[in-house]
Parts: sequence; structure tokens; C-alpha cells
Amino acid sequence: MRALFHRTAAARRTAFIDIGKFFLVAGIALWLLTVGTPGLGYHWQWYRVPRFLFTIQEGVWTAGPLLQGLLVTLEISALSLLCTLVLGLTTALFRLSASFTARALARSYLELIRNTPLLIQIFFVYFVLSPVLDIGAFASAVLALSLFEGAYAAEILRAGIVSLQRGQWEAAHSLGLNLFDAYRYVILPQAVRRVLPPLTGQAISLVKDSALVSTIAIYDLTMQGQTIVAETFLAFEIWFTVAAIYLILTFGLSLAVRAMERKMSGAPLRMLGGPA
Amino acid sequence: MTADERIIETTELTKTFPGGIVALDRFSLTVRRGEVVVVIGPSGSGKSTFLRCLNGLEEIDSGSIVIDGIPLDHHRKNRLLIRQEVGMVFQSFNLFPHMSVRENIDLAQVRVRKKTPAQAAEATMELLKKVGIAEKADRYPHELSGGQQQRVAIARALAMTPKVMLFDEATSALDPEMIGEVLEVMRALATEGMTMIVVTHEMGFAREAGDRIVFMETGRIVEEAETERFFGSPHMERTKAFLSQIL
Repeated sequence: MRALFHRTAAARRTAFIDIGKFFLVAGIALWLLTVGTPGLGYHWQWYRVPRFLFTIQEGVWTAGPLLQGLLVTLEISALSLLCTLVLGLTTALFRLSASFTARALARSYLELIRNTPLLIQIFFVYFVLSPVLDIGAFASAVLALSLFEGAYAAEILRAGIVSLQRGQWEAAHSLGLNLFDAYRYVILPQAVRRVLPPLTGQAISLVKDSALVSTIAIYDLTMQGQTIVAETFLAFEIWFTVAAIYLILTFGLSLAVRAMERKMSGAPLRMLGGPA
Repeated sequence: MTADERIIETTELTKTFPGGIVALDRFSLTVRRGEVVVVIGPSGSGKSTFLRCLNGLEEIDSGSIVIDGIPLDHHRKNRLLIRQEVGMVFQSFNLFPHMSVRENIDLAQVRVRKKTPAQAAEATMELLKKVGIAEKADRYPHELSGGQQQRVAIARALAMTPKVMLFDEATSALDPEMIGEVLEVMRALATEGMTMIVVTHEMGFAREAGDRIVFMETGRIVEEAETERFFGSPHMERTKAFLSQIL
């Protein structure tokens, strides 16, 4: 009992010291900012920012260009995320397939996508593919982003699948499950759970990479920011605001995944049916 | 032995692993319905490889395997059919860690045997009672002891109502005090008339439950005989040497 009390007291002391350190670091950062800003010679005009987010006239709430842009970013990201997962999973399964054609196809796709810049891919899809396929800018953006992120998601999923013990496959096979059922009930539920953290990272990358679609005349968050800056010269205020909105979006995404992870963790995956 | 009595027929199996290790060398064995064959031998003698070839987990280089009249060949359909009739219990249990005990046993019944969930649940409880852990139905594998996990694995294999059960060193990964409970379940199965091929180092079990003993080394059968004869008066010098080391 005594020992326990001592340990908690010690733990509390460490926590206080830790919090103290945090405020010290934060204080120094803030001080540097206030000292440094006048040197910048920038005339801050934060009061001009809110109306680009939203306006309220006679009690009617209207979304400003930034929130409209956010909506477009959300739409593109959500659609692309869905396609990314489908494409990633398909490619991962192709890479692990017994068929040479499937493996070669997956491999060429991966190498092509991962070794060229996303910006060039977006241009390629928009200027070359979209007239051929007869799709608009929005669809081009979703296609380019999904193709790009799908390649990375595929490698993450493949890593998760091959990280499972061989015994899991053997048990599934020995019960007479076919390939589809083995993947669906035995392999993928375990693999996906294992790679959820890196997969979340990829989803966050997708949201951030979606800023590049502003180059093909899509009025997403970044494009709206650019337009406002061009009109008002509020470069710092607007870009800070845009960055903060992206941050909220990506941080919210990781929180959501973490909550999902906790909910799913009925059975820890430490002991994969192996010997005790 | 009439054709009808033979449930497993393997002829001239050969299997060489990459690197030139010979696991099976013109290995032939026939097993009768209801027979319990115990395969023993030093490590690396090809015992496990033989079992794994029987349900297609390893591919043979040459030879033929026929199980209950179905040839194990390159047809995927035949391989699936054979796997449905052959249950396998592994050294490392290989339970599905993300599923409860009940779900582990239900899965193949529903997906492969196309039972309704209710039918499967009933059979599952029956099997769990049989292996003595009905109260653990809703637990997850990591919450069970090794012996309990292995008994779940046996129940899972039995849920397919297989015609043959293969045991690949089913007790080798267990703590000594848990070996007994698993062997007991295996003994009960043998008494019920299940056809079994058991790879094990448990000579007590081999003597008691085995109808026939096969002693293997370097992928070949050194000696095979009825249990009593095998332990009582082994013919080969190598068998005598092996038995004197482990008994």
C-alpha cells in the first residue's frame, strides 16, 4: 500500500514537471513570434478573414468561398478515398495472385505511379485522358488522386496480408475454404486491422494531396484561397486559415480512425493462434 | 484389403524442397477406414510433409494420392473436395485470433458445408461439449490456455465432419500438464472409429491408440507394423536404436 502511494506521488510529480516543460516551450515559441512579427513589417488584418468563411445577413447564414472550397475538397477526398481503397485492395490481391498477368499488371501500375510526380499525373489525366474518356475536371481529379494514392494503399495492404502467419492460410485451406472466403473471413480482417495506422496516414496524405487539383481549375479549398489572396493580398491570414482548415480535417480523420480502431479491438492480435 | 476399405492410398510420393532437402522419397502408404496410423521418426524425416501433402498444403513432385476415391491432382475442385473430407490439426493451433471460439468453429460449417447459422451453432455446441470446453464458447483464442486452444482446433476440424483426421504434432507446442487433455480427446476420437493419421512423439499414445506404427527416416518408411509387433519385436536395427533412445 505504502509502495503504491509512493509510486503514484512520484508519477504525479513527473506529470507536473512535464506540463511545466510544455508551457515553457509554448511560451518561448509565442515570445519569438511576438518579437519577430514586427520585423516582418506585415500589417495583419485578421478582421477581414471571417467573411471569406461565412457571412450572416439578416439572420441568413451563407457559406463564404473558403467553406465552399472545403466542401469541394471533402467531396473529392471522400470519393477518392473510396476508390483508393478499392483500387489498393485489388492491386494488392493482384500482386499476391498466382497469375502472372495479374502480378505483371499490378507491378507495372505500381512502378508507373510511384515513380512519377502526382502533379504530372493530374495534368496527364486532365489534359490527355479526360478528352479521351470524355470526363470533366472533377472526375479527372478523383481519378488522378485515386490512381496515385491507390498505389501506396496497395503496398500497405499487401504488407499487412503477408505479415500474417502462414498458419492462418493453412488453417483456412485445411477447412476447405476457397480463396475468396479465406481472404474475406480470415486474412483481410486481420490484415486490415494491422495496417490501419499506415492506412490512416495514407488517407491524410490524400486529403493534403487533393490541394494539387487546384491546378486543373477545380475550386477546392486551396484554389479558393489562391483566388482570395489574389484579390485581397491577405496572403498570411488566408493561407494560415486554409492550413488550419486542412489541419482540422486531417486531425478529425485520425481521431475518427482511432475511435474505430478501439471499437474493433475486441480481440488483440498479439497472439495469432500460436503456441502459448 | 478391398478397394472399399482403403480410404487413403498414396503411391511413390516424392517431394524435394528447394535446396535439395528430400522430404519424401518414393513413399507409399495405404490406410484403412477407421484405422489409426501413428507416424514416428526423427525430426526432418518427412512426417509432417507427408501429412501436409495429404490435403494439398504441400505439392508433391511425383506419385499419386487418392483419398476416398478422389484423386488429389491439379484440379482445384478436387483439392477443395479433399480438404473438406480431411481435417487437420496443427502444432501451432492456428485458430483465427479475431474470432471467438464459437465463430472459429461456425465459419467453415456455414461457408463450406452451407449450413444455416442455427444448424452450425447447434453442432458447434455439441462439439465443444465433446472436447470439454462448452463454457468457453464466447471467449477469444488468446484468452484460452494452449490445451484449450488445441481442443478448439480439434473441434473446428471435426465440425466439417471429415472422414479422415490428420494430427501434425498436435501436442508438441503444449506445456506438459496440458498434453494429457488433448491426448484424451484424440483417444476418444480413435475409439469412435475415426480414421486418423497421427504424427507424434508421444509413444504412450502411439501404443495405446495406434493400430499401426510407421517409422520414417529421410522420407522413407524404415519399418511399419501393427502396434504390438512394432514395439514388441522391431525387426530393423534402426528402429531398435530409435526406440531405445526415446523410450
